Parts: sequence; structure tokens; C-alpha cells
Amino acid sequence: MRLTINGNAYEVAVSGPETLLGVLRGRLAMTGTKLVCGRGECGACTVLLDGKPAYACLTLAAACEGVAITTIEGMGRPGHLHALQDAFIAHDALQCGFCTPGQIMAAAALLAGNPRPTEAEVRRGMSGNLCRCGAYPRIVKAVLDAAARLEAAHDA
Amino acid sequence: MTPENGASAPPDAPVEPPRARRFVATRVEIEGREETRIVELPDRVPAPWGADADLHVVGARVPRMDGLEKVTGAARFTADLHRPGMTFAVVVRSPVPAGRLARIDAAAALALPGLRALLTLDDVRGIRSDAGQLLDDTIRYAGQPLCVVCADTLGAAHAAAARVRLSIEPAPHAVTAEQALAEGAPKLRSRGNVSPRSPRIIQRGDVDAGLRAADVVITREYRTPVALHTALEPHGAVAEWEGGRLTVWESTQGIFATRRDLAAAFGLKLSNVRVMKDYMGGGFGAKNGASASAYIAAALSRKTGRPVRCVFDRYGEQTDAGNRAATVQRVTLGARHDGTLTAIRMDATIPLGVSGWEAGPGRIYHELHACENVRTSETFVYTNAGAMASFRAPGHTEGAFGLESALNALARELKLDPLELRRRNYAAADQARSRPYSAKHLDQCYARGAERFGWATRDVRRAHDGAPRLRRGFGMAACTWGAGGGPPAYATVRINRDGTVEVLTGAQDLGTGSRTVMAQIAAETLGARIDDVRTVLGDTERLPFASNSWGSITTASVGPAVRVAAEEARDRLFEAAAAMLDAGVTELTARDGVIAVRATGRSMTFAEVCGKLGDVMIIGQGSRGPNPDGTALSAFGAQFAEVEVDTETGRVRVLRIVAAHDSGRIINPTLAESQLEGAVLQGMGYALFEERVMDTALGLPMNPTMHDYKIPTMADVPLIEGFFIDAPDVAANHTGAKGLAEPPIIPVAPAIAAAVADAIGAECPEIPLTPWRVLDAIRGAARD
Repeated sequence: MRLTINGNAYEVAVSGPETLLGVLRGRLAMTGTKLVCGRGECGACTVLLDGKPAYACLTLAAACEGVAITTIEGMGRPGHLHALQDAFIAHDALQCGFCTPGQIMAAAALLAGNPRPTEAEVRRGMSGNLCRCGAYPRIVKAVLDAAARLEAAHDA
Repeated sequence: MTPENGASAPPDAPVEPPRARRFVATRVEIEGREETRIVELPDRVPAPWGADADLHVVGARVPRMDGLEKVTGAARFTADLHRPGMTFAVVVRSPVPAGRLARIDAAAALALPGLRALLTLDDVRGIRSDAGQLLDDTIRYAGQPLCVVCADTLGAAHAAAARVRLSIEPAPHAVTAEQALAEGAPKLRSRGNVSPRSPRIIQRGDVDAGLRAADVVITREYRTPVALHTALEPHGAVAEWEGGRLTVWESTQGIFATRRDLAAAFGLKLSNVRVMKDYMGGGFGAKNGASASAYIAAALSRKTGRPVRCVFDRYGEQTDAGNRAATVQRVTLGARHDGTLTAIRMDATIPLGVSGWEAGPGRIYHELHACENVRTSETFVYTNAGAMASFRAPGHTEGAFGLESALNALARELKLDPLELRRRNYAAADQARSRPYSAKHLDQCYARGAERFGWATRDVRRAHDGAPRLRRGFGMAACTWGAGGGPPAYATVRINRDGTVEVLTGAQDLGTGSRTVMAQIAAETLGARIDDVRTVLGDTERLPFASNSWGSITTASVGPAVRVAAEEARDRLFEAAAAMLDAGVTELTARDGVIAVRATGRSMTFAEVCGKLGDVMIIGQGSRGPNPDGTALSAFGAQFAEVEVDTETGRVRVLRIVAAHDSGRIINPTLAESQLEGAVLQGMGYALFEERVMDTALGLPMNPTMHDYKIPTMADVPLIEGFFIDAPDVAANHTGAKGLAEPPIIPVAPAIAAAVADAIGAECPEIPLTPWRVLDAIRGAARD
């Protein structure tokens, strides 16, 4: 089947029960998306499907044909980072970094639906993404800061 | 003194010159355990960076150096590694807490396409992980690894694991201390269920006399839960054999400890084992030394001749990867009317699971507050549950809940401000070992924390409550933790021909920021630009030794070694530059990558000097010197909590935590505050949510998932105001820094529990403070 990931097309042979997470990590070596719980409890594998957030560990790869898949690898690269990535670095919104790709993808989905969220909306909207190092206060600041920067760029 | 000074030598004998001893003993404290270590005295001991030192990079808010890799998904963790021909291991675990594995029927599993191997006890006899013999056929806890399958894909390995049939003869179990200590309880060890070193009794003075001298005596019983580390990256390893050499990548807090363990297990020379670790998704104490996953990956790789990745799934991580042991602490305090403590007595029972080291809640009772008469007794009990492992300030976090809660109860009894009670019992010296502290600023933590929090005006804030069912409360607690670090630790600093710098040391960065902190120390010492410095960690073959990243020791242990190495490199660089600048070495100064002659201002950049040197590589070596004799090296802190309790539902909302800490010099305030906030949040989880629940009848964990074992989420986060006193402790080491990762988790739970008690007018002696426990406390108070 053909998967469209970060704007590129990939031909992959996928078995029936294979998850999108398994295909990304195992077949395509896109290891930015993490496996933590494998049951939709922690948010670490969050990706965007046609702009909407999804847990890659609970998404069948076979159901993703014709869907625009965005992973952390598609968010930005050195020198051309996404505003969220810049803000995560600036606010030190990470420690070990294992949950960070999922946090950034969840934040991107949140901002896509609500470009200027309140602090309470960020907290509620991202409460499904667990971080054991406890970077939460800084993640909230980073998301609010990125939202402001994105809107300023949009208005400019 | 040795006789080498010649004084006792016969007159005709040749007189040997006095020889300084190069290897000496020093004391190092790690996670409450103090040990004697040999240290090689460094050739150079830099002048301490005191409070007035003119520093530019140390103390600066340098952004985390691996932030870019982490926000782009480029950072490769152990679970992300892929080697050519790699196969995937999945562990088959025991579904029962006790019994005997009679037979493994793997025919259906082995028939699946892509299956490579089955690993059983016969393959690994004699190899012991933290929980005992690997793949043992004697079952001692639910979740115990019984066999492992290995296949070409992770999916195939999971499918095979599901087809393994186990024949198990179940046996009676004991999953709680009560069950394990009951008459006729099944024995986990031939000598019984109580550890051979129990009870561990530590005492000073005369507690009975102290209680007789008291005007007020209170007795309480406190209970703390089993808490699970729940690091996002599970335990995992990739192993690969080349001939007789073993290479392992492991998510570990100690690459050299892992190398030692693997070499012993597989009968290899240390030089034939290479352990690497780059990025790591959290450890929190549970990843010290080779894990079961590393032994399994190495054994399977040997068996299959292919690289093998073994990463625990979440069930394995939550049942078989360590935990903070539960405690029951029976506390008696005696005090005079003025609050002076006359006696502290504590008796604890601590179920360890099948094994674990005896951290224990007792030690903090001897350290935190002044008291002449202290006696603690700790009984460690083996149970049919996963083994205990160090978990962020092991022992002290549990003990602080008992000690500080009891102190807060005493304050209520005496109608004294709990902060004032602590000030009246201020411990000026380390009473446990009768020696001075290198530095102690707990008094400043009290003063500045209370000021920031508005402790004196808390009753005014209480008056502004909202709905009558919502009640506000305030509480506080203190902490101490041995965080001085120590030797051995080594570092190499290299300067390349373009003037860039590499700091090489075999330490680990768990997400703590060690990479950044070591680069800052090197940049400061060299006068280099921070952007030109890179820290290389985590490879036993290429890097000099540094110890486990545990016990909050890395900065204070490795930092001084990095500074010495950088100083040696700087001296060489200056020698080269002096000739080029036509000046004396002592006339030079360096900053921001520019070496200048002080008097004339003539200058060259690092790149210019090194470019002229060509491939002459400037190398500096450094090591960590001994700790000062007879001195306690400790960190301190005080925390203040404000909560709101819904008296109808029992729900506790933490509104605000002020955390004031003394960890000596802070190398990077941003990273230090990040860690402080993280520790406060883990402590809040311990106080409010986290508890491994066992079905005592079946002996099974009820909540081995991230959904059912609740850790804090973004929605639970209070306002955290964390800060450091930032007073360099140059008696501890010449950088002035002490550890800061663990201390801030210690006082969180008792501070929150005190605030809840303050809100509802009833004590809460058991954590986590779930709604039903809070409602029980409210109803109990109403009945009284």
C-alpha cells in the first residue's frame, strides 16, 4: 500500500493488524514517534492524520491509505524549526525528551483547532500527553508562546 | 605517617626522600549509604570558585545542548536503535505470584514464520538480575520473566509470545508485609521472609529518658504506598556479539556498572565488553547496572548470532522494573512546651518485594532536626512482588512523610507554627555522624521560602475561600540529602584545530542536563565560547570512567574532573598562544574564545592559535579529588504547599508549591529549575495519586498500566515557584556545586498532607491522598 508521510509517498507491504506506529518505527525507521504504553494511554505516539491528532499505536496502518500523515520528522528541521520546536527549546520544555515528539504533535493539533488557546485550554487539551520528568509547566508556556508567535507571523 | 620520612631508618641506610601518598581513602555518600573509596590525588587542585568568583558561563542560563535533537525526533534512544539483521525479543511473564514452572510448550510459537529462538532457564543458568536467577522456574512474583522469544519483527515476536503455553504449579503467595509476616506464611527465602539484617536499629542518646523528659508526647502511624518509576522509556537493550566481544546499548544510568555486570555474567574481560548509551528516556533510579533486558538481549544474541533488541513492554516495566517500597512508620515524638524535641522514635516495616537494597525510611529521622535521643528500627520483609529499586531519594522520601507529618502533628498539639517548631530544632551539625556540615543554608530556605509563599499571612488568604464546601489549607516540610558526590570520576578535554572543544567523560545524561552542565564548566575554565564546546558521554570503550548517574552525584563528582581537565588544556593552549602573542603565559587571559594579553590587548582566537598548531591536539586530563575528611556534604530544602479540598468529594487540588532549596552553586539555573519542578510534580503524584494496588487474594497487580497507575498530567499542575539559595559550597568541592535532582521530591508529600490536614481539620496519615482517604479523614474528625 501507499502511505503519504510528511508529504512523501512510501510503498510499504503492510500486514493486517500492523499499527501505523509499527510501520513508522519498524519499516520506515522513523523513530521520532515513540512507543511507550501501546494502548493509547500516554500520547507519546501522537501523529497528525489529515491535521487531526491520532495515537499511532491504536491506528491501523491499513486504514491510512490516502491520509496525509504528519510525524515529528515532518515538523521542522535544523535551521527551519516549527515555532513549537523553537519554543520548546527556548522554555526548556523537556528533560529526557522521550515524550517530546508526542507533546509537540499534540500541541500542533491543538493550535490547528484553536490558534489562541487560553492556559486552561492548553492544560486540558494536552492532559492526555504524559511526561514523567515533569516538564508540564514549561510545556504550557512553550505552547502559549508558540501560539502568539504563529499568530504574529500570520498577521504580518 | 609511614616510616618513609627516614626518622626511624638506621643511620647507614640510604635515606629515601619523603613520598606523598598518591592513593588515599575518602568517604563518599550515595543515596544515604556512605562508603570508603580509594582516590588518586589529582596533580592539580584548582582554586575554589567562591561566591565572588568572576564567572560568565557557569551560572548562566545556557539552553539545553541536546534540545534540537529532542524536539526534531532525531535523538536516538536505545529503543530506536536498529542494527543490520537485528531481531526482536519479547519476554513471556508469569501470570501468577508464586509457584513452579513445570513445562514450557513453545511448539506453536516456534512454528511461526520469522521466529528465531526461544530463551529459557537452561540458557542463562547462573545469570542473576536484580530479582534473582534470570528466567527462574521458581516463580516468586507476577510479571517474573519465564522465557523469551525472539523473531525477525516485533510483531512476530509478540505473536509468538502469545502462543507459548506455560504449565505452572501455583503455590500460596504473600504480597503484603502482613501476609508475609503471618504465621504459616509461604517462605520466599529459606531463612524466612524477614531480611537477615532486620531489624536495623540505629540510635543515639536514650529515647526512653527523652520521652520521660517530654512535656508532650505524640504517637502516630503513617503509611506510604509502593510507587512505580514509570519512566516513559522502558528498560531496554540492544546486544551484538562480534567474535568474543560483546557490544550493548542500554538505557542505563551507569554504563560502567552495566559493563561490569555483563562481563561477570558472560565470563568476559572488561575490555571485551563495550556499553553505550546516548539518549535515555528517564531512569529515576531504576536503571542502575545491567537490567534483565540487557542479559536477555546478550544471551539471545549469543544464541542466534544476530543483534537482538529487548525492550520491556509497559506491563513488564510496571511489574518487573523496580519500585519505591511501601512503608508503615510508627512514630513517637517527645517535646517540651517550647517545642524542643526530646525524643524521636520510629519503628518501620518495609516490604521489599522479592529483593532490593535496604534504603529504609529511618535515616532522615537522625539527620533533619536537632534531637539528642533518636532511635529507629526498620524491618525489611520479602514478599511475592517485583523487586524494590532506588527511586529518587529512596528512603528519605518515604521517611520524610512520616517524620515531617509527625512534626506537623506535634506543632498542632503544641499550638506552635510548624515553621517555628523547625527553627527551634535546627540541626547545626550532622548529628548522625557527629561532624560539621560543609555548608548549610536551610535557615535561608525557611526564611526565603516563607517570604515568597506568604507563610505569615496565610490565615488572611484562608478567609477568602470561595464556596463553603471548598476549604483552603497550608502546610510545609523540610528535607536533607547527602549530595556531595565524590571520586572516582575522570574527564578528558580536547581542543581541535578549529578551536572547538570536546569534553569526554563516561557519565550519563538521563535528561538531567549533564551534557550542558559539563560543557559550561569546560567553557568557563577554558574561556571558550559555549557554542564551541560539545560533551560526549556514554561509551565505556572510548571514554574515561565516571560513576552511575544516581544519588544526585553527577555534577559534584564529574564537574570538578572536567574543570581540572579543562584547566590543564587551557595551560597548554596558553603556552602555545604565549609564543605566538610574544607574551608570558601569566599575562594571558581568555574569554568567549579569544585569548588576549592583559596589558596590551593583543589577541588571537582559539581557532587562530589552534590553526597554527595544525594537528597538534591539546589534551587535558582531569580527575575528581577526595572529599574533605570528617565533613557532611548535604543539600537542604523547604517547601510550602497551598491546597484546596472539596469536602463533599474529597478531591484535593494543589494550588501552589513554593520550593526553596540549597544545593550549593547552581551551574545552570534553567536546567536546575526544570529538575526542581519535575521533582515537585513526582512528589505531588506520590502524595495524591500514585499507588501500586495489589489484589491480595490473587496476588496480582491491579493497575500495571499508565491509565490505571495515575501519574500527574498537565491538568494537575499547580503553580510551582522553585528557586535555589545559590551559595557555592567550596568546602565540598572546588566548583561549589552539590546535587539537586533528588532533594526536591523529599518534602512534597508531607507539605501537601499538612496543607490538607490544615484545610479539613483532620490528619491524613496515609498517602496517596485519594478522595476516599480524605473523606474518611473528614468523617473521622466529625465523629470525634
